[in-house]
Amino acid sequence: MNTRDEVGEFTQIFIALMGLMRRFIFRILCVGPIPNHISFIMDGNRRFAKKHKLKGLDAGHRAGFVSVTYILQYCKEIGVPYVTIYAFAVDNFRREAQEVKCMMDLMLEKVELSIDQANSGYLKGVRVIFAGDMNSINEPLRVAAQRLMEVTKDNRGLTVVVCVAYSTSHEIVHAVRESCLRKCDNGDGPLVLEVSDVEECMYTTIAPDPDLLIRTGGRNRLSNFMTWQTSGSLLHTTAALWPELGLWHMVWAILKFQRMQNYLQKKQKLD
Amino acid sequence: MDMNEPMLLLSSWVGQIGDVGLDLLWRFIHLVVSLCHVVSGIFEAIESYVISLGLIQKYNSIDFEKLRCLAVVVDIEVARDISKVIELLQWLATIGVKQVGLFDSQGLLKKSKDMILEIVPGSVLLPDTGEKNFSPGQNRIAIEFISSSDNKEAVVKAANILLEKYLKSSHPENDKGEDFFTESHLNEALTVVGDNVHVPDLLLVYGPVRSHLGFPAWRLRYAEIVHMGSLKYMRYGSLLKAIYKFTGVRQNYGKSFIFHYYT
Repeated sequence: MNTRDEVGEFTQIFIALMGLMRRFIFRILCVGPIPNHISFIMDGNRRFAKKHKLKGLDAGHRAGFVSVTYILQYCKEIGVPYVTIYAFAVDNFRREAQEVKCMMDLMLEKVELSIDQANSGYLKGVRVIFAGDMNSINEPLRVAAQRLMEVTKDNRGLTVVVCVAYSTSHEIVHAVRESCLRKCDNGDGPLVLEVSDVEECMYTTIAPDPDLLIRTGGRNRLSNFMTWQTSGSLLHTTAALWPELGLWHMVWAILKFQRMQNYLQKKQKLD
Repeated sequence: MDMNEPMLLLSSWVGQIGDVGLDLLWRFIHLVVSLCHVVSGIFEAIESYVISLGLIQKYNSIDFEKLRCLAVVVDIEVARDISKVIELLQWLATIGVKQVGLFDSQGLLKKSKDMILEIVPGSVLLPDTGEKNFSPGQNRIAIEFISSSDNKEAVVKAANILLEKYLKSSHPENDKGEDFFTESHLNEALTVVGDNVHVPDLLLVYGPVRSHLGFPAWRLRYAEIVHMGSLKYMRYGSLLKAIYKFTGVRQNYGKSFIFHYYT
């Protein structure tokens, strides 16, 4: 056996051991309550690229995508039923045109890769839903996103809501418009809106309200993300940049959630 | 069959012992986490004490240009402890904060607003009615009382205003409402309802959990949220530090900050 084969074998053993350790840690975590829905504000990709002197406008975002795959895997192993990721904000359209194009191209590439994986059976147990103003993104990406949603619609296990061209203000305006138009079209009943009418028309209505919102990059704001849905959520910030988010950050966030879960439940009952 | 029973019993015992072991490990991890929080709490308390003594120069001068409006979120249980809220407002007035939104989800602070305005020197209700007399040199602080009814219900009230306008207007049959239901229309309607008056820059959360507890979603969008811990153990030094740190924050987009005080 040559050195390369030995190194390859050691690497495989190491990866297997790491996997076992991770499953053991998750098994301990699962003794306590696990969030039903975790949302992520994936901040810090560009700072990561700058920090590591990576070349290319999308270098940080490519590193960020790798992080997405790991985090979704961890969430699936822990047993979190819903995960929402803030992939592209309406405000991000204000960035330089070249950067926006890079991000859109990267998203298209990854969505098409995911479609191939879904067709090959690698995404069993993962359902993907896109939430946001899909009419404001380019047609190839919109069509690909629709295709991915179609291919995974019957999967059960982890539901991943990918927020693209999303912001709370956009979502509320859209929900108000849709609910008003529905009220007008629906001839029966008084023409007065209730909270439930508006909430039914929100982009993220497919998922329950998040229990835990994790923002990377060290910033302390929601940046126009799910402010409507996070009344009862634990807001957790980590200084780690999104591509740096790993197993221990997830474990720490869930431990914090478990410490505060009684209070959050009590608060929800009072509301 | 007889062979299977002891095996089943044994595997059941092993399973139960395993569960007990995992439970103990979980509790041990949480004990360690709690100890970490206690230790960091002690360090924060010491730092806060040093700041409140004025020993750290940089916290003695704060640039209030960035902090146009501050909001304080108070946990429902602590709202009954109005005296601590009054003390906090007095601190804020002393520091030089001119405008503060006080939020608690159940609206208990709203019910006590007359008492709060009477006791806090220099306080006026937002919007300012101009009825109070102030002594010269007194720090003035304008207070807005906010509750959960100013969140989703206010948006729905604004939506109903827009719906009424839409129904009264002449529009084509297949109209999609894009000229009637825009962000600026909703902003205007929210102002009519009384919700969009002051968008806070900083949200201080006083409570056991870092959560905005239902602060109006429309106003919360770009707010800087800072968890201050329990109102019962609030510290002047921590307040100064939070405001100071905020004035050094840079936003890539959006306008405002919210401090999050949890009680």
